[in-house]
Amino acid sequence: MITTHPLDEGLRTDAARIEAAARARGLSFFELVFEMVEPSAVNALCALGGFPLRYPSWRFGMEYDRLEKGRHYGLSKIYELVINNDPVHAYLVSTNSRMEQKLVMAHVCGHADFFANNAWFAPTDRHMLGRMAEHAAWVRDCMERHGQEPVERFLDSILSLDTLLDPFAPLSEHLQARARDEERGSAVERARRSLDAAMAPENSERRTRGARPRVPSHDVLGFLGQRCELEDWQRELIRIVRAEALYFVPQRMTKIMNEGWACLWHSRLLTGGLLEASEIVDFADCHSGATATRPGQLNPYQFGLDLWRHAERRQLDLFRLRRAHHDASWVDELVDEEFAARHPLFAPAFTPEGQAQGGWKTLKDRIVRDLAWAGTPRIELVDDNHKGAGELLLQHHHDGRDLELAAAAEVLKSIAGLWQRRVHLATQEQGQHRVLSSDGSEVRVEREAAA
Amino acid sequence: MSLSRIERDRNRFRDIVRGRLREDLRRYLSTSELLGRRGERAISIPVPQIELPRLRFGDNNAGGGSGQAAGEAAQGEARAGQGGGQAGEGEGSHLYEVEVELEELARMLGEELELPSIEARGRSQLVTETLRWRGIANQGPASLRHFRRTWRNALRREIASGSYDPHAPRITPLHEDERFRFCKPQSRPQSSAVIFHIMDVSGSMGREQKEIVRIKAFWIDTWLRSQYKNLEVVYIVHDAVAKEVDQDSFFHLRESGGTKISSAYELCLQKIREQYPPEDWNIYPFHYSDGDNWSARDTERCIGLLREELIPRVNQFCYGQVKSAYGSGQFKKDLDGALPGTDRLVTANVNDRDGIREAIRAFLGRGR
Repeated sequence: MITTHPLDEGLRTDAARIEAAARARGLSFFELVFEMVEPSAVNALCALGGFPLRYPSWRFGMEYDRLEKGRHYGLSKIYELVINNDPVHAYLVSTNSRMEQKLVMAHVCGHADFFANNAWFAPTDRHMLGRMAEHAAWVRDCMERHGQEPVERFLDSILSLDTLLDPFAPLSEHLQARARDEERGSAVERARRSLDAAMAPENSERRTRGARPRVPSHDVLGFLGQRCELEDWQRELIRIVRAEALYFVPQRMTKIMNEGWACLWHSRLLTGGLLEASEIVDFADCHSGATATRPGQLNPYQFGLDLWRHAERRQLDLFRLRRAHHDASWVDELVDEEFAARHPLFAPAFTPEGQAQGGWKTLKDRIVRDLAWAGTPRIELVDDNHKGAGELLLQHHHDGRDLELAAAAEVLKSIAGLWQRRVHLATQEQGQHRVLSSDGSEVRVEREAAA
Repeated sequence: MSLSRIERDRNRFRDIVRGRLREDLRRYLSTSELLGRRGERAISIPVPQIELPRLRFGDNNAGGGSGQAAGEAAQGEARAGQGGGQAGEGEGSHLYEVEVELEELARMLGEELELPSIEARGRSQLVTETLRWRGIANQGPASLRHFRRTWRNALRREIASGSYDPHAPRITPLHEDERFRFCKPQSRPQSSAVIFHIMDVSGSMGREQKEIVRIKAFWIDTWLRSQYKNLEVVYIVHDAVAKEVDQDSFFHLRESGGTKISSAYELCLQKIREQYPPEDWNIYPFHYSDGDNWSARDTERCIGLLREELIPRVNQFCYGQVKSAYGSGQFKKDLDGALPGTDRLVTANVNDRDGIREAIRAFLGRGR
């Protein structure tokens, strides 16, 4: 088991001071819980995505193994780990110095504010600590009933589909639901109505299977979970994998903003009077270590922090920006010529060669493109009765970047195995149309243009 | 004791890696694929597709069966390797390098070949070194930089050079100021062993024969290293005269001329006398030759050296006869004939690469 400890007296005082300073400066967040852990425990937590209780999987073991090796050879060190939950849980590592702990606590305040106020996090499950533990217990139980091997194999095949989601759908559904609720009146009335709906016999089928998914849709995993012929435990596993993946999507969509925001606030708070004089130099070293970058490399901490500082110079409302944007829209809105001219990431665009390729605007467009759709290829299910034979047609919305076809072929095989009919994926390779097609055991590549 | 859940996940991952490796171990036992991959304590081994396939961006230019670099930033370790020479794996075969500790690899070898553990001779214990974080070095990775020491050096330098201004105390550490934490060896008693790899490099030993010796030596080293914490390896080559060489020349040297095996045995004996007293060392000479000796008289001399001097001093003497187009293979017959039933002498024929397995089993199968 992963053991955590409460903070000692001194750190508790520090935490209270930092939290109070953060709230005084306008940050707002759920209750914050700090826990102290040993370095190997923080690696374990990190491998598990921050959650102490996850289902059994070799992938967590692989990540843990990698982190432990990094720690053993002194190559990597984890400072902090924070979970979007109510209350927010954050882990401090016992081997860090007091200054480092203060830095982490201030940094965590930034993240916690971001979780609580950024729109894309609004639809996330705020009780994910408990939810993940429930999922873990369920999967463990499932493995006992159906055997570890088959469950693990099915789980692996579903996990390789967990990017086939619509990252933008949860927020719009959330907003629609909220609008409906406001229309419908008081909480008591709503509760009665939903009880009535649950009691009505004709609704029971719809409740277990959910609404018939619409096509076209980007929510391929959700579609498969509802429409495939599956055992109950398999359907539940798909639901679990999809729910956990959706929970992590906003973190992928806002990585740069979120890290930049946390850096901005740890630096504002700590240099605003919370550091001892003797800690200043160590703080500066630690901060510049986190925000260091090599040429041509995008460090989200540094890039994010620089963009926030740029927004500050332009006298924009930082709090409004952090509420409304995700990385792609934020970079698109904020990067202008002045920023590009000053920022090392854009230096290549100002060389004669870079100018010939379109200068900073081209580079910016490429960064925005890479960040769009949460950094994954955009795949849409466009037809669930392709060729009139009940086959699926997936369309890759090609944006100049090819898919790795070998991996795509494996994924397609998994989907066809679930769907039990042929599945097609229309994409491009070096400007040529390609259609991959699989029946679950082999993959064909056709070279003619897609419909 | 209940194993923590993450340790169980890690064991599951290791089981999977081990399963993949075991499938490939047979192939590794007859090829030189792993030879260049050994580090001090671990070996990086390409394992096909340990990562889940996902729809992701990637370059498809490499084509064929070779591994392509699918650089997902998050996967630090999962570096795609080059899959040269195994196009038979089919299209979707991605290779990831997995670090396997040498002990782990040796354990797999032991299971595959059913090797018993070695009973070290219970003579004296020798001192070996283990690493502790207790030193400061001038060079190292940035993650191990010792901030205070670095800064103090910078301060000292700036004060000395007069560029330090107490009213505007700016210190800029230069490269030469940097100090890093590092591991310092610490002594610890352990049992020790020395391997002598002795190879005939006369004209009749061709490239293929040397390759076989290389592969065999690699696996023998790996196994013995897992059995002894402190292992030294001595390389001796001989044609008509013997000399000690380093590892690299051992495998690449091509001499020609006659063969006088006794010269090598004498050198081996001399090293044992001078540097590796049997009271302190477990001694393992391995001799590889195509079996052609200079003269029957020299063979007599070899047998005498073995019987009187070498065999009494060593844990086990192994002679591996590599088949070559020119060799007569006489030497093994002579040894077997002159020293029948000698416990500590093992002779084996290696006709081709597939024979490596059996020869290793013969050499290491006695747990000595």
